[in-house]
Amino acid sequence: MAARQKRYALAIDARKCINCKACSVACRAENRVPLGKGRNWMNEELRGEYPKLMAVFEAEQCHHCADPACVRVCPTGASYQRPDGIVAIKDTECVGCRYCVVACPYDARFFREDRGVVEKCDLCAKRVDRAELPACVETCPSKVRVFGDLNDPNSKLHELLSKRQYRLKKPEAGTGPQIYYLL
Amino acid sequence: MKTIEWGFLIINYLFLGGLSAGLFFVAALATLLEHNGDRPYARIARYGALLAPWPVMLGCFLLIFDLGKWYRFYKLFLHLRWVSPMSIGSWLLLIFSGISLLLFVASLAKEERQRLFQKLPASGAILRLLSGDLSAWQRPIAALGLPFSIGVGIYTGVLLGAVQSRPFWNTNLVAQMFLFSALSTGCATLILVLALAGKRIEAVEFRLLYTLDICFLTLEFFIVLPYLIHGELSVEAVRESLQLILGGPFTLVFWVFFLGLGLLAPLAIEVREMAPVLLSKTVAHYSKPLAAVTALLVLAGGFLLRYIFVFAGQMSAFK
Repeated sequence: MAARQKRYALAIDARKCINCKACSVACRAENRVPLGKGRNWMNEELRGEYPKLMAVFEAEQCHHCADPACVRVCPTGASYQRPDGIVAIKDTECVGCRYCVVACPYDARFFREDRGVVEKCDLCAKRVDRAELPACVETCPSKVRVFGDLNDPNSKLHELLSKRQYRLKKPEAGTGPQIYYLL
Repeated sequence: MKTIEWGFLIINYLFLGGLSAGLFFVAALATLLEHNGDRPYARIARYGALLAPWPVMLGCFLLIFDLGKWYRFYKLFLHLRWVSPMSIGSWLLLIFSGISLLLFVASLAKEERQRLFQKLPASGAILRLLSGDLSAWQRPIAALGLPFSIGVGIYTGVLLGAVQSRPFWNTNLVAQMFLFSALSTGCATLILVLALAGKRIEAVEFRLLYTLDICFLTLEFFIVLPYLIHGELSVEAVRESLQLILGGPFTLVFWVFFLGLGLLAPLAIEVREMAPVLLSKTVAHYSKPLAAVTALLVLAGGFLLRYIFVFAGQMSAFK
């Protein structure tokens, strides 16, 4: 029997997050992201009024959508989706028109003025191809991030998503986001 | 991280591309409206054809200059991706620029053509072909270019309208709005040129241009109107994005400068100027200064429409 096609995705257990930002630092180091830009970031929100307060820390990055708008609008095919679901950019094909940056509902892409091309999270595709975890996942001290293959019934991700409730962000934008925020 | 990626270069390009589309459309129409060998609109056809290639070509340079890697622009022409409006648009621009240049050469008088080609190196089969008399080909070239001019006019709106994540853009009305705005700016440029041309006003020419422009502006108005109504009746994200023009940073420029001064005011002036023709079938006496003012208002309105849409659209998002 042929091996099942992989479909990589990410689950985020935001309640465990302590907002240490190690994920952002690890990503910056791994992918040489310049200061002032970021492939991943934290959404911080304070809820309620003193003394009934709650701080919500929700990590976000490219949602590696099932039907990515960025890939559709790219005029040269530089933005593409791998068979395993990872949305990435062919650096040498990007002309820097920034249509994809405008088209992303999550503002997950940014333009590198110094290089003249667009960059984004590619779930550390090079590491994943070596069977390693993405840098942000590996470094997270409180195990907020769970990376895995949706099609592998033995994966931790698969188990979490079948046992826990989750939320998707902006599904109404119609791109089929694949970051699962556990409730 | 929300950023405004497309700025004034893109706004200017959208305006210039539309302007060329409009100029070519009106010029082609004037070329094709021959009546028993009589060419009542020969001046419109000639001025339109002489002007049409330049704004779009300048616009293309702005587009290329706006790219992060301008020297990779050729990669746009190594692909044709049907699902990307920008890919289709690049090809449309290329073909349209070529056809409008062809009409330009075909519309030159013999001595003008000779003067132009004296300065160019007289080698190559294409150059020899172009330096020949193409005036007999004006009508086929105009007919061939007509759909491409509409394509260039409408694609600029599709480019924005196809972005599903920006509720301000993502309606089926933006494309038509941009098309009729484009056609009216081309028409207005020809009104301006004729008003400044020095010779006495030919009533028949102004009648055509005013009639066309009244049609374009009216259509544009009745697209802007349902855009607002439908937006207000739509989902929350669209209603919120409309706040940018209904009670936000673009309210003044939209209502007063675009809709008031850039659309309804010139429309009113044109209808007023056409009133004698419309009501009593007599010959109208068109005022040159008024024509120039009308044309400038339409041009400003066309520019502002693009300014508002490019910026407001990028600021809109799902929550």
